[in-house]
Amino acid sequence: MIRTVNLCKRFGELTVFKDVNIHVQKGECVAVIGPSGTGKSVLFRTLAMLEKPDYGNVLVNGRDITLKDVNINKVRERFGMVYQGFHLFSHLNVLENITLAPLKVKKLGKTEAKNRAKELLSLVGLSDKHSSFPHQLSGGQQQRVAIARSLAMDPDIILFDEPTSALDPSMTGEVLAIIRKLAKSGLTMMISTHEMRFAQDVADRVFFMDEGGVYEEGTADQIFNNPKRERTRMFIRKLKVFSYSIISRGFDMVSMNVQIEMFCQKYNVEFKKINYIQLVLEELIIEVIGSLQKDEQPQIDFSIEFSEERDEIEITFTYRGKEFNPFVINDDEEHLGVILVTGISKSTNYKYVDGFNTININI
Amino acid sequence: MYLYILRGGGFSFGKNLIENNGWLVILKGLEVTLVISFTALLLGTIIGALFCSMHNSRIRILNITAKIVIAFLRGSPVLLLLMIFYYVVFANSRIDAIYIAVIAFSLNSGAHIAEIMRSALSAVDKKQLEAARMLGFSKIGAFMAITLPQAARIAKPVYQSATINLIQWTSVVGYVTITDLTRTVNNIGARTGDPFFALFFGILIYLAISYLVNFLFSFQGKRKLTT
Ligand SMILES: Nc1ncnc2c1ncn2[C@@H]1O[C@H](COP(=O)(O)OP(=O)(O)O)[C@@H](O)[C@H]1O
Ligand SMILES: [Mg+2]
Repeated sequence: MIRTVNLCKRFGELTVFKDVNIHVQKGECVAVIGPSGTGKSVLFRTLAMLEKPDYGNVLVNGRDITLKDVNINKVRERFGMVYQGFHLFSHLNVLENITLAPLKVKKLGKTEAKNRAKELLSLVGLSDKHSSFPHQLSGGQQQRVAIARSLAMDPDIILFDEPTSALDPSMTGEVLAIIRKLAKSGLTMMISTHEMRFAQDVADRVFFMDEGGVYEEGTADQIFNNPKRERTRMFIRKLKVFSYSIISRGFDMVSMNVQIEMFCQKYNVEFKKINYIQLVLEELIIEVIGSLQKDEQPQIDFSIEFSEERDEIEITFTYRGKEFNPFVINDDEEHLGVILVTGISKSTNYKYVDGFNTININI
Repeated sequence: MYLYILRGGGFSFGKNLIENNGWLVILKGLEVTLVISFTALLLGTIIGALFCSMHNSRIRILNITAKIVIAFLRGSPVLLLLMIFYYVVFANSRIDAIYIAVIAFSLNSGAHIAEIMRSALSAVDKKQLEAARMLGFSKIGAFMAITLPQAARIAKPVYQSATINLIQWTSVVGYVTITDLTRTVNNIGARTGDPFFALFFGILIYLAISYLVNFLFSFQGKRKLTT
């Protein structure tokens, strides 16, 4: 369906990618993942000739669309693109957004275009919004209209460039559900995304982009559970594990909590559980800092890992210093926090090795 | 003023507007004002579009020329521009003064309108244009379907006030012997020795034109929204 040969794109001195050779089959759903700034968007834009490649070719159904005599408008009729920022036509209502290109580009009849648009609106679950204007819709609704607008041209392939990155976590679900449905129906698509669980579930294949190109590609299972190359491994591990270090009494607890929350939301951890995690960590940190000498600075590292099989959160909490087990209450002081931690956790475990205290907690 | 109107209002009315067919003369002046204003607006809009596309052009010569010409026209008082055309450029030609006024006001409002268009165009979301290209629109097709209607909507209120400004500025054409609305009421006031009534009446007419223009613009806007 779509293939590139030694594709290369530069912006002045910056080589975004070079020697990219990818092949997407008809009916395939390919997820493109990788750190920010590694060229996922530029790759999509280059595939659609919105950016001119510096060298290399893009073949669509065997035809080289980088050639001068190709009518790129005709090619793009068969290409859909869904953007992070939706980019609906702000002066048109929902129905007009969807029918505009079929009417003006495909020269479809008015009723035909309208009926098709209504079908698509019901597909994306927005039948009642046909005469709303884009600014009257939520982000998730706008993105669903943008998807319907793309579908209205009956494209051979749709490129989704981080379709949920601009959305509130509460709205990503509705958009992903539609993309999932489209993938199941056999639409060819490429999707760049940070929704790793989604990518793992839906993608037939995954491209990991880094170091100026497609660094590793494979099935979703290969890339997520058994990556071959170093950078892929690091990336996947970072996705699964959140780590944080505290080296001063005056660390920023608010920022820590925000980061924890963002990490947990990626895995759709329930709100209550996120609160528990934050509570447990706060209590442990307070206990550890409380056990220090007056002029001593803490040295705490902790990581949060989400285990999908057991649907559990594993916290590994390490701190340097003399042996101190906060779970052993040996005086009459009130250690409500510790009692709280034990109450919330499924299991706790303490050990002391070579000057390091380590606590493992499952929630 | 109340007293003036109560005591002398009716008398002034007769003296200024009825005697010597004053109202016919005023109508004639009004016609001149309207002809100059609306021809200049029409030509100015065309010139503005031309200047604007020159300014946005990638060809350096066009771009620089447009920048200089626009800066010059916007920076010079329209009355001086008018006088240069009348007393210098067309001094020896037999072109009617009204045409000369139309040229001067077209150029002046053209420069203003070029800037209005340029800022409206640059305020349109480029990403929507790209989205249209991705749906298969040609460059021109996308411009006509997306950029132009959105830019028009952004430009409308500024264009509207530019129109009213233009109409009011045409009141200086009396300096080059044209008998427009302002000059007419001035003449009548001078003749009857009752300038207050005549001049005030003139203001009322200008006011009425402004209202009419605003009304026409609001009508346009509403129709656009519903279609
Ligand atoms: N139009 C442009 N001009 C210059 N540099 C660009 C342009 N677009 C993207 N880049 C650069 O190309 C690199 C890849 O960007 P992008 O494809 O947006 O990354 P990703 O989508 O993977 O986060 C970045 O370093 C970005 O700064
Ligand atoms: Mg991107």
